[in-house]
Amino acid sequence: MSRHKTARVARVLSGALRVWGVSASVERDPERPAGFVLRTQSGIRMQVAPAASRGWLVWREGRSLGVHNGLPGLLRSLRQELAPEAATGRLIIGSQSLL
Amino acid sequence: MSPLPVSVVTGFLGSGKTTLLSRLLRDPAAARTAVIVNEFGEVGLDHLLVEASDEEVVLLEGGCLCCKVRGDLVRTAGHLLARRARGAAAFDRIVIETTGLADPAPILQALMTDREIADALRLESVIATVDCAAGDATLDAHPESVKQAALADRIVLTKADLADPAQSGLAERVRRINPSAPQLTALHGAVDASRLFGGAPYDRPLYNHGSHAESGVTSFCLRRSAPLHAVTLSLFLQLVAEHCGARLLRLKGLVDVVESPGRPAVIHGVQHVFHPPAWLEAWPDDDRTTRIVVISQELDAEWLQDLLEALDDEVKACSIS
Repeated sequence: MSRHKTARVARVLSGALRVWGVSASVERDPERPAGFVLRTQSGIRMQVAPAASRGWLVWREGRSLGVHNGLPGLLRSLRQELAPEAATGRLIIGSQSLL
Repeated sequence: MSPLPVSVVTGFLGSGKTTLLSRLLRDPAAARTAVIVNEFGEVGLDHLLVEASDEEVVLLEGGCLCCKVRGDLVRTAGHLLARRARGAAAFDRIVIETTGLADPAPILQALMTDREIADALRLESVIATVDCAAGDATLDAHPESVKQAALADRIVLTKADLADPAQSGLAERVRRINPSAPQLTALHGAVDASRLFGGAPYDRPLYNHGSHAESGVTSFCLRRSAPLHAVTLSLFLQLVAEHCGARLLRLKGLVDVVESPGRPAVIHGVQHVFHPPAWLEAWPDDDRTTRIVVISQELDAEWLQDLLEALDDEVKACSIS
C-alpha cells in the first residue's frame, strides 16, 4: 500500500474513533509495515495491519481478533471492541421512487 | 398513474407556516392541493385558519407528527388517496404541515418507506419557514429550528414586512446553514407558489460550499472527479448509515458511476433511510463530477471524503486482483 493510501486509512480510523466518541491516538506500527497502533485513553491497545493477500488483521493487546475482508468489517470490529455502546444504524432502502 | 408530489412544510412555532399555507391555497398555482395539518396540543386550531374546502384539509390531532402520529399520517394520506381514486376529492398535490416542534426526518422517512403509500406519492420538497422578525433569536435558542432550516429544500423567509432579512443578516445566516436551498421572501404570507413547488431533488444547485456549523449542524459537499464503482457507493452508504446514525440528517447527490457512463445516479437519504437510487438519462448540467451534499450533526467532511476514497481504493484493488 502506498504511503498516501496508508495515511488515508489512518485518517479514516481517527475519524471513526471521533464519531464513536472514543479518545484515542492512531500511530504507525513500528513492527508492521502499513500497520497502525490504536491507543485509547482508557488504556486499550489495538493493532491493525493489512493482510498479505487482502483485508485487515486486527489484534487487541496482542491477541488476534481475526481478519476482515475490507474497511467495513474492520470498522465494525473496532467499534465493537472500543465503543460497544456507540449508536449504530442500518441502511434502509425505502420503497418510494425518487423520480 | 404517476406518483403525486408531496411537500412537507416545517418551521418553528409561530414562524408563519399556517399563514403561508392559507395564502398559498388561494394562489391558482397551488390549486388542487390537499393539506394535512398536524397540531400539537389538545385542541387543533391551525386547520381552521387554513382556507380551503374541509374535504381537502385533514387534521391530525393528539400529538406531534414526528413522534406520535406517524401511523396516522400514513393512514390519513392513504384515506386521501382512496377518496381521490373514488372521485370524492380532487387534488394533484399533498402538503403536510408539521408542528413547530417537529423533527421532519421521521416524517420524511415514513413517506419514503411505507409500502401502502410509497408507490402513490413522491416526496418533492421540504419547505422551511423562518421568521424574519424573531428568526435570529429562535435560531439562537432552539437547535430544532436550525435543523429544520438545514433539512429544507426551500426556505421561506416570512414576515419580511416586519424586518428586512437582508439588512438584519438573517438571510445570510440561513444561507450559511443551508447553502443549497433557494430562499423566497414572504410578505404577509404571500409567496409565489410556482417557485415553491415543482422540480426534482437533483435539479437544485449542488454547491461546492465550504463547511459551516451552527448549533452543531454542518453542511458540506463531497466532490469527486473520477467515477465511483457502484459497489463503493453501496458500501459508503452502508457505512454512513451504520456508524453515523442519527448524526446524518440528510444526504443527497449526483454520482458518476463507473458501470453507468453518462447516466448519473441520484441518491437521497434522510438519516439511515434512503430512496432507491434513481438513474438519470443524462447529466442535468455541464458539471460531470460526483457531488454529494451532506447535512449532519458534527460529522467531518474530510473524514467522509477519506472514507469514500479509501473504500474505492479497496474496491479497485479487488477489481484488479
